[in-house]
Amino acid sequence: MKQAAFQSQHEEAWLAFERWLDARTRPPSRELLRDGDGVFGDSEFPAAFRRICQQLALAERRDYSALLIQRLRDLVERGHLVLYRPRAPRARRIVDFFAAGFPRLVRGQWRAMTVAAVLFFLPMIGVIALLQIHPELVHALFDPAQLAGFENMYDPASAAERLGRENGTDLKMFGYYIFNNVGIGFRTFASGLLAGVGSIFVLIMNGVIIGGVAGHLTAIGYGGPFWRFVAGHSAPELLAIVISGGAGLQVGMALLAPGRRTRGRALVEAGAVGAKLVLGVFAMLVFAAFVEAYWSSIAWMPSPIKFSVGGLLWLGILLWLWRGGRGQTDVE
Amino acid sequence: MLDTLTLVETPEGIALHLRSAGVMPRACAWAFDALIRLGVIWMLAIFIGMLGESGFGIYLLVLFVLIWFYPVLFEVLRDGQTPGKKVMGLRVINANGTPVTWIASIVRNLLRTVDMLPFGYAFGLLACLIDPCGRRLGDLVAGTLVVYAQLPAKQSAAPIAPVVHAPVQLPPGERAAIVEFAERAAQLTPERQQELAALLPMLTQAQGSLAVQRLHGMACAFLGRG
Repeated sequence: MKQAAFQSQHEEAWLAFERWLDARTRPPSRELLRDGDGVFGDSEFPAAFRRICQQLALAERRDYSALLIQRLRDLVERGHLVLYRPRAPRARRIVDFFAAGFPRLVRGQWRAMTVAAVLFFLPMIGVIALLQIHPELVHALFDPAQLAGFENMYDPASAAERLGRENGTDLKMFGYYIFNNVGIGFRTFASGLLAGVGSIFVLIMNGVIIGGVAGHLTAIGYGGPFWRFVAGHSAPELLAIVISGGAGLQVGMALLAPGRRTRGRALVEAGAVGAKLVLGVFAMLVFAAFVEAYWSSIAWMPSPIKFSVGGLLWLGILLWLWRGGRGQTDVE
Repeated sequence: MLDTLTLVETPEGIALHLRSAGVMPRACAWAFDALIRLGVIWMLAIFIGMLGESGFGIYLLVLFVLIWFYPVLFEVLRDGQTPGKKVMGLRVINANGTPVTWIASIVRNLLRTVDMLPFGYAFGLLACLIDPCGRRLGDLVAGTLVVYAQLPAKQSAAPIAPVVHAPVQLPPGERAAIVEFAERAAQLTPERQQELAALLPMLTQAQGSLAVQRLHGMACAFLGRG
């Protein structure tokens, strides 16, 4: 078949396809396009797309002119972008992810998570214990100005209206915690790409600093306000740091020991797992920031309530990570 | 490897032609996005000043969203194009040619942190220069590519001319060259067209504009018009 005949035979279909793409891509129309006014309905699009693909293959096979082939290629490329567009996240899938998918994913990476937990909690508890025996060692960790800042925040003598901060409204502190803590969570994961070294460093560093503050304040007798403040948000915050560290470690391991995959393949797979883990970490840290800004800072709340809420959160989150989504399989 | 063209076969059995973008256009797109974000945060700072302490909290929340989620939201919801990429004619896609997915976009933008190390996107630049497809580290882990978004080709057909049959049977490659010459007529000055047509005196057996006319006529014959 000569090109002119081929073109005149299909010209109308191509124009209709082009109009459909224009209507679909520029201001995205919400309602389904039905037949009529020269545009076909959405349900006919995949078939029309495949027909154009076939016509492009024919045109290339028959050595039709470069112009025609380019035009068909453009149509195919635009159609391809529409046909394989990612689905919008559904509310149901989001709920499923947090109820089942995320805990399953954490358990699936239990090796990395265990290593991350050890790297974080061991320095933390170690430093707390060490500072009870040798309180003077705290000067190796913080300079005097920083220490004065901590002591000022948790001084039991100052009848502060708000715990854990020098000043600032709840909303200001919420913004600050999100910006700071979630940023740290994200960076802990990302730095795992450096063969895991970045994540290991951040985990140990955070363990030592948090342990240093807790140990020092306990040693000088300011432990009361401090533990009352951190009890509430400690569970989501500390566990989220561990999980993001674990997510980073498994990316680092994919680089170091890809197993029976190419390094590129292993990295892509580990990256997808890591991104899902980070989504869970993000939710946990937002929750932690909320607790930290609006609950932990309430000074008048009696200690038993504070500590039992903190304990319940530890129990609940660990139970969620341990049992969530048991006996189910992933939908995807 | 100088050619940046990547062919990706779709399930329909068609090869997509992807042209991956290099460092410069991507850096420009990034700079443009950075300017937009700076502008937004600067405008916001003026408003926030009136809200006092709580305003600072809102400011930090917006800053957080701009830093971490601005690229992800634009890339997934706007066909792989942040405003900067749109200006530079770039698009992020999955390595298999499909539009970038949520997870892939999240990975490539979280890993910016590593690309920025040790300073000024040095790791990303290095990866970009080494990788044949110009991917930075985030792209490698996410399995994504930054390609040139093709602009729809301008419609210009070969000019209509009285059909002329070539005096000899021409091989397919030469016929394609003559058709392409006719299809590009709109982009060439008449003088240049005559210059090119003068290269084929045996075929056209004419001079000047008549030779051009005859070549166009042959193209029409090859295309099957008339």
